[in-house]
Amino acid sequence: MSPRVLGRAQGPVAYAILTALLLVVVFPFYWMFVSSLKSEEQMRTLTAMFWPSPAVLDNYRQLLGKTDFGAWYGNSIVVALSSTFVATAIGTLGAYALARLKFFGRAFMASATLITYLVPPSILFIPLYAQIRNLGLADSLTGLIAAYPSFTVPFVTWLLMGYFESIPEELEEAAMIDGATRFGAFRRIILPLATPGVLAAALFAFTQAWNEFLYALVFITNVKLRTLPVGLSTFITGDVYGWGFLMAGAVLTTLPVIAAYTYLQKYMVEGLTAGSVKG
Amino acid sequence: MATPAARLPASAALQRRGAGGGLARALGPDYRLGYLFVAPIVVLVLALVAYPFGYAIYLSLTRKYVGVPPVWVGFDNYVKLTWDGFFQRAVVNSFVFTFGSVAVKLALGMAMALVLTARIRFRSFWTGVLLIPWVAPTVVSALNFLWIYDYSLGVLNYLLVKVLRVLPQGVGWLSEPGTAMASVIAVNVWRGFPFFGISFLAGMKAIPAEMYEAAAVDGATALQRFRHVTLPALQNIIIIVVLLSTIWTFNDFTIIYILTKGGPGGATQVLPVLTYEIAFGAQRLGEAIAVALYMLPAMAVVIIVLARHMRRGRAR
Repeated sequence: MSPRVLGRAQGPVAYAILTALLLVVVFPFYWMFVSSLKSEEQMRTLTAMFWPSPAVLDNYRQLLGKTDFGAWYGNSIVVALSSTFVATAIGTLGAYALARLKFFGRAFMASATLITYLVPPSILFIPLYAQIRNLGLADSLTGLIAAYPSFTVPFVTWLLMGYFESIPEELEEAAMIDGATRFGAFRRIILPLATPGVLAAALFAFTQAWNEFLYALVFITNVKLRTLPVGLSTFITGDVYGWGFLMAGAVLTTLPVIAAYTYLQKYMVEGLTAGSVKG
Repeated sequence: MATPAARLPASAALQRRGAGGGLARALGPDYRLGYLFVAPIVVLVLALVAYPFGYAIYLSLTRKYVGVPPVWVGFDNYVKLTWDGFFQRAVVNSFVFTFGSVAVKLALGMAMALVLTARIRFRSFWTGVLLIPWVAPTVVSALNFLWIYDYSLGVLNYLLVKVLRVLPQGVGWLSEPGTAMASVIAVNVWRGFPFFGISFLAGMKAIPAEMYEAAAVDGATALQRFRHVTLPALQNIIIIVVLLSTIWTFNDFTIIYILTKGGPGGATQVLPVLTYEIAFGAQRLGEAIAVALYMLPAMAVVIIVLARHMRRGRAR
């Protein structure tokens, strides 16, 4: 890479800024992890502040054994996977149509999808709750699975529209000249090429659904049906549990997202930069 | 697959798409597959966004309690809110929270992007690490900082008092009105700046190296290269990212709800949290939605300008 803005002085300056940013970013996660391994006793006495001594799994054991954490984990997995599946299926088809096919109303629908993506949940959560309740889906995971596409679908669609637009149109035309139908060209030529984009979009949808808090907080009252973010947040008001316990829950809640992200980082960064913002 | 069209010249085969009769002429050559593919989105957007949105506007013009039918009151809710001191304070707080956060995220994001375009080792690994706050669940990050900020056992006070010795005694970061707002802004910044960074990074990578070389040959300093090469090239991305983040931050519920619930004494009360509290604490739904919608005209302007920039960014 060329010497960009920082020029000749870039080495030391760049490393200094990088180190500062990394400290700020990494330390809270380190602290979360360390706290989760500390005993109640060590926590209270402020001994060996920055590492567990000794490292114990009490917090994890208590979390999994004495609370509904396990059930919440299952709920989160069900809700996140279902809404990811719905969003990816609907979004992929829609994005292809909006990016490529020629039909009346296309431009308007593309704009409407984008604007929908930008409408914030803080405006929608009360009327959406009323609607979910009218459908008899209040206090059920189905209600959340029904509601989450309101933000995942527009996002996936918008992201993949950019992706489909970047695939040369000549490829489909060539296939159609060879006798493929429009749908055949989409299924055999375009979809395989778009797989990295679809994968990235699915991951983002999963992350969004996994992390969602407001709808889950409002729609669900049954303790057993909570998702992880809401369940975790109720530990602070209880005052029964210590911080180490809460941090153990935080570690386990973050794990799937970080794992998926580490494994598929390339696609996510690529998808994010190609899809959501392109200048 | 083996239709006669396979033998036809290219132009004829492509025209076949347009040969769907009058409907195809009126609705476009791909109207069948097109409508089939977008139908689920249209249904979804109408059912999950457009209808609730319309219903929200209607409810905001009523007096509505949970379990009781709404009573039409016109603009009463909005008029009352306008003169309500607590609401006014939440509006001011929302702007302070939003603009404070976005400004710092812009600066840190730019620093992150500049560093990651410099000649450093393991660049893509560091990029990945710096992005983690943005993918981690917001609730987790907020809880994590609640613990970091804790007055008696939190690590921030420990660092400042016992390790660095810059403070004589700990600070109640979230419980004192003087520090609460800055503390919640810091968490929003921590979570959000990587998005700025990664977006600017993508934009910077697209700037041809020759432009920097030419500027360097002309004797431009680092600052001049930044101002006259980098910034103009990033203009559209900067506008998009700032506006996107403005919408997201203005409507951020999770961080403030977890950290302070709007306290102490309303010092960090913002509109989304106030909406939630009026709706599910006080059970006054009409008024709650009016709180959420009060800033809608301003937000609509931002959303429309942003949508335009995003579509233009795509069209190139």
